This record gives sequence, C-alpha cells and structure tokens, in this order.
Amino acid sequence: MEYATQHRATEQAIQHRFDPYADNGGTILAIAGEDFCVVAGDTRQSEGYSINSRYAPKVFKMKNNVVLANSGFHADGVTLTKRLNQRIEWYRHAHEKDMSAPAFAQMLATTLYGRRFFPYYSFCIVGRGMVYGYDPVGSYERYQCRAAGSAQNLVQPFLDSQITLNGQKDAQPTPLSLADVLCIVKDAFTSATERDIYTGDYIELHIITREGVETQLHPLKKD
Amino acid sequence: MSSKLAGGFSFDNHVRNAALQQKGLTLPKAVKTGTTIAGVIFKDGIVLGADTRATEGPIVADKNCEKIHYLAPNMYCCGAGTAADTEFTTALIASQLELHRLTTGRESRAVTAMTMLKQMLFKYQGHIGAALVLGGYDCTGPQLFTIYPHGSTDKLPYVTMGSGSLAAMAVFEAGWKRDMERQEAIDLVRAAIESGIFNDLGSGSNVDICVIEKGKHEMLRNYARPNERGQKERSYRFARGTTDVLQTSVRSLVTVVEGDQMDTSS
Amino acid sequence: MFLTRSEYDRGVNTFSPEGRLFQVEYAIEAIKLGSTAIGVTTKDGVLLAVEKRIPSPLMEPESIEKILEIDSHLGCAMSGLTADSRIIIEHARVASLNHRFIYDEPLKVESVTQSVCDLALRFGESGNGEERIMSRPFGVALLIAGVDEKGPQLFHADPSGTFVQYEAKAIGSGSEGAQTELQENYRKDMTLAEGETLALSVLKQVMEEKLNKTNVEMASVTAAYGFHVYPADQLQSVIERL
Repeated sequence: MEYATQHRATEQAIQHRFDPYADNGGTILAIAGEDFCVVAGDTRQSEGYSINSRYAPKVFKMKNNVVLANSGFHADGVTLTKRLNQRIEWYRHAHEKDMSAPAFAQMLATTLYGRRFFPYYSFCIVGRGMVYGYDPVGSYERYQCRAAGSAQNLVQPFLDSQITLNGQKDAQPTPLSLADVLCIVKDAFTSATERDIYTGDYIELHIITREGVETQLHPLKKD
Repeated sequence: MSSKLAGGFSFDNHVRNAALQQKGLTLPKAVKTGTTIAGVIFKDGIVLGADTRATEGPIVADKNCEKIHYLAPNMYCCGAGTAADTEFTTALIASQLELHRLTTGRESRAVTAMTMLKQMLFKYQGHIGAALVLGGYDCTGPQLFTIYPHGSTDKLPYVTMGSGSLAAMAVFEAGWKRDMERQEAIDLVRAAIESGIFNDLGSGSNVDICVIEKGKHEMLRNYARPNERGQKERSYRFARGTTDVLQTSVRSLVTVVEGDQMDTSS
Repeated sequence: MFLTRSEYDRGVNTFSPEGRLFQVEYAIEAIKLGSTAIGVTTKDGVLLAVEKRIPSPLMEPESIEKILEIDSHLGCAMSGLTADSRIIIEHARVASLNHRFIYDEPLKVESVTQSVCDLALRFGESGNGEERIMSRPFGVALLIAGVDEKGPQLFHADPSGTFVQYEAKAIGSGSEGAQTELQENYRKDMTLAEGETLALSVLKQVMEEKLNKTNVEMASVTAAYGFHVYPADQLQSVIERL
C-alpha cells in the first residue's frame, strides 16, 4: 500500500524494454518403446501464480502423424506448430509423400535455428518411433526418453531410473510394454503435480503405434 | 569485540554478503508460504482459515504445513510470506503476550497483540516478510486485523492475505453477510480458502480452520482435504543390491593389544 | 514452321494468334543441333551416355563435360547450348543440398527435376517477386538420372519447363534415330551391363565419327554406388563388348 508520491524519474533517462516472452509452465515427456511411442503433456497453462487455462493442450499430432510437444511460451509453441504443419503440407505437395520422422526432426532444428537471434521460446520434444529433444535454438538429439518443462528436473531422473535403468546393478533391460510405459507416464505426472506448482489439471497422452495415433485424457490434481 | 551473546538479529556478515552478492553469488532462498489466509467475524466470534502449501519458488516444499499460529489462548494468527518470519514473529509476540498476562493478570487483548506486531514489523522496515491475519476474542468482543510486512494494519469484518488473497476475497465479497451463524462462517471461510487452493498456484493442499469464541477456541486442522493423492500405478521398490558396491575397505581404528583381562569380580 | 514466322516470334512472353510461344519452340529446336545424349533405365540403375564432338584434333577431349553430378544420387546429361546448363546445374545442386540440410534426406529425382523446370520458366520480365534470371529461354535439354526410394528413374526436361519420365530417352541431333533404336531394343528387365551396351550401341549408330573412349562420355547412377562417371578403361571395356 502506498500513496502516490511525486514522480521521481524526471532526471533519469526513460528506458523502454521489449519483453515479448512469457513462461507458461507445464511439463511434457516422451518415451520410445519397441514398437510404440508415448508423448504426453499436462494441460495447465499458467502465468506467475495464475492459471490461464486448465485445458490448453501443448502436445499436437502433426499432419504427418509425428507428435510434437512444446513447453515454454505457449503462443510461440502454437505458432511453431502451425508453421511446421504448413511445411509438412508443402512438402507433401512438392514430393508426393509424407515427411518422415527424421526429416521432420531435421526441419524443426533448422526452423528453430533460423530464429537464432529472436528464438521461439519453445522446448520441443518430437515422437514417432523415436524420440527427439530440442533446445529453443535447434540443438537436438535422439533419446529413449525425454522430459522438458517446469518439472523437467523432477521427471527426467525418474525416467532415467525407470526406463534407462541408469546405474542399477543387475537390472535386466527387458523391453517395456505399452501398459508399463503408460503407468510410468501417469506416475511421472501425478508425482510432478505433487511438487511442481505449474503442473496439473490433466494429462494428455498420445500413443503412437503402427496403427496410428491414439489420444487419452486423464485427470490430475487441480490445486 | 564483545563475546557476549546478545539477543536479536546478527548483522555481522551483512557487508560481506552484500559484497559477495555483487560478485554474482546468489544467497539461499527462503521458504515462502505463497499462501491463502483469511478470517471473518461471525455472530459469536472469529473464524480463521489457511491453506497448507509451502513453496520454494516453483517447488512445493511442504504439502501440509501449519499456517495458523498460536498467540494467546484467545488469539490465533495466520501467517503469509517468509515462513521463518511468520513463525518467529508470532512466537516472539506470543511469549511477550504471555509475560504481559503474567504481569497484568488479565486476558490479552487483540489490539495489544496487533500493536506489538505492527511496531516490530515497522521497526524492521519490511525486511521481516510477515503478512498476518490476527483474530481474537477479548473483553471487547471478536476482533479481526490484518498486519502488512511494513507495519500497516486494517481492522475489518472479513479479511484475506497472501498470494491467494484475491481469489479468497472474491468469495467473501460474493458470500459474506453480517452476523453469520458459526457453521455458515466456517463454510464461507472454507470456500474462500479452497478458492485460493484451486486458483492460486502458490496455495494448495488442505484447509485449516480455527474458530475462536468467547472463552474457547477450536482448531480444526485439515478441516477439508480436497487434494488427496491417488494410488500410484506401480510400486517403485528397488531390489536389494541394486546400488552397486564399488569398493569395500575395513579399517581398524583401535589396536587391541593382548593384556590382562579386566577385573570384573567386584 | 519457319514459314509461319511473324512479328510474334520476337517477344519471349508473347503468344502468337495460334497460341504458340515461338521463342520457346526455337529453343527446343536449338537442342536438335546439339550432340546426342542417351539415358537408359535398368533395374539396377540408370545409365547416361553422350557423344562428344571433337572438331579439332588439337582439342583436349577431357575438357568437354556433358555429364555432371548434381548430388551423390543424382546425375545429369545435356544437349544443346551447354553453357546454359551451368545455371541449371548450379540451381539443381543448391536445391539438392538445401533439401539435405533442411530434411536430412536425399532429394527425390522427380523433385529435383521439378525444381529445374520451375527455373526454366523464369525468363522474360520478372513477375510476382520472382527474380528474373534469363532474358530468353534456356537453350538446353537435360536428362536427369537418379536413384531414390522409388528406385532408378530417368527424367527429360526441356526449355519449355515440361518434364516427362522415360525408361529410355535420346535427345540432341541424333535423337530421332536413337529413340527408334531404343524403342526396338529396350527391355524392362535389363541389367546394368546390358544397359551399358544398349546405350553405347545406339550412340554408335547415330554418331558421325567412329565411337571410341575419347569421344563418348558415360555415367551410371546406382543404389549401391550413386553417381559414377566411367573412367577411360571402364569405358573401353564396354566399347569392346559392342
């Protein structure tokens, strides 16, 4: 509480700041199985301590059946997704085939790097058969499992222990079934919701198999 | 330099810390109760309410902490802001009130507590980050105050504080009536706190309620638990021996020399 | 056709009342003056063979290059004003390399052909922001050979920007006779070696000079080895089989 006092910046230079980014929170992850791939994200969209939306998807099925998950600045994620879908369509018209996952992965990298000095504030994960993870300016790598977003620090170690079985003696790396992976994904999100204030409301799962992409929605805690 | 242990805060490292900070060192962050706390006056007393989430930045530090602190048998105080500041400030004032009661032989008044709190907070110029909702029932009837970290205070029939204060106040503005019944007041405070829990990311988990009436109080810890964690899908127990032992070394720190046996006869 | 010549054959963008673009038609005529080039698709890969005209014995035959690499999986033979092909080849190489950079995969044979044909139409005045690069149509025709996920393919692109896929195609001065020969002797199930023989034997029939290892150039594009220009000894061994 404060009463308006005399303007004290008269002798100082006026500074203009351009602040075009926001952090809209939320968590995404992807896991590659033997013959399937799961890409998931929570659907909460927030700014500061406020919730903008309890259902604002950040995982999208692209026109070539690749699934793209974005976290960071929601508007950039949506714009990036639109542009990539357009590129997929152009590619299909130019080359009379669907863009493959590796081609899409490389295209996303060049698209992101194309904005090296005014980046899309978007942490991307791509899934279809394989999983690719990106930084906002296009550095990317293939992973077996990858988490990003506000609960990345909570979820990635959990995936490393349950999927990659990092540093576990005598752990037999049996290929995980889809059911097992779905359990791990749900537990990752319910646990992240417990401790990360920006994660919650719903999980939206995309299950990619040879047959196509199936989507599921599961509730999370809403506090 | 005096080696005498003085009470209060120590500022010995202030200059050093400021210099380190300027060189880029980040000092440890305090736990904040990004919080929803609220209180109303009803027909026969006061209802105080609080959520139970404590945060450290974006991380939930405590899922079921207590934010309604004891001040006197007829007085409780909800705290928002830096957790340590609310805990120590209320504890300090509680002890001063106890001494005051012993000296005067009379029940503490809410205005007394309020004045002591605001004087202390003003003295520290806002550096003690405690934002409080003080409720009590004394010889003047039910009393409700808010105290801001810089020392300003309000006296109102319904109040909210913390990051969820707007969400909670919205509920109060919609539902508050003069001279409510006890249960009506509890329901309203619960709804206000739940509004903070669900709409403010700094607040969460459960609702604590405290009802103070003439000559009695009731602490309703976890009055509502609207955020129970569901069953996990899998068990995450690791098999024994999962953590590899890389090296074993047993060192003998005591040398046992043969000698006479200890005499244990007597 | 030269009898119908009129003022309509001056502007590159002017149709004649009969609906013809004379400058483009003349450009196609220019190719018929060029040396013969032949492309043959086999199940194992595509073959390109061209005749090198050596008007002077003092000329270095190696300095004539009419078969060029576009990418490791794409090759190109030409006939006509071969100097014009430099722009086209450059464009095709950039298109192919760009595709690899953006998509981390090789460009399709049809796509590179399409890209080249888009370029062929960019003559005359510039329109909607597209950069004008030539004042007249190209005077060169191309045989673009390559291997992609659809297998070995051969495309013919001409100055009008039209492209057609062929199993076997001849262009240049001897193209009429050569095309008839190809039609008679081409089989779908030919091996690469049979294709080599067919290409060179057809070329031999339409060439004025006697065919030898210095006055022809040959290349193959196969899935296994990609684009490959035949060195003299390899060419000699094919000639000996004829």
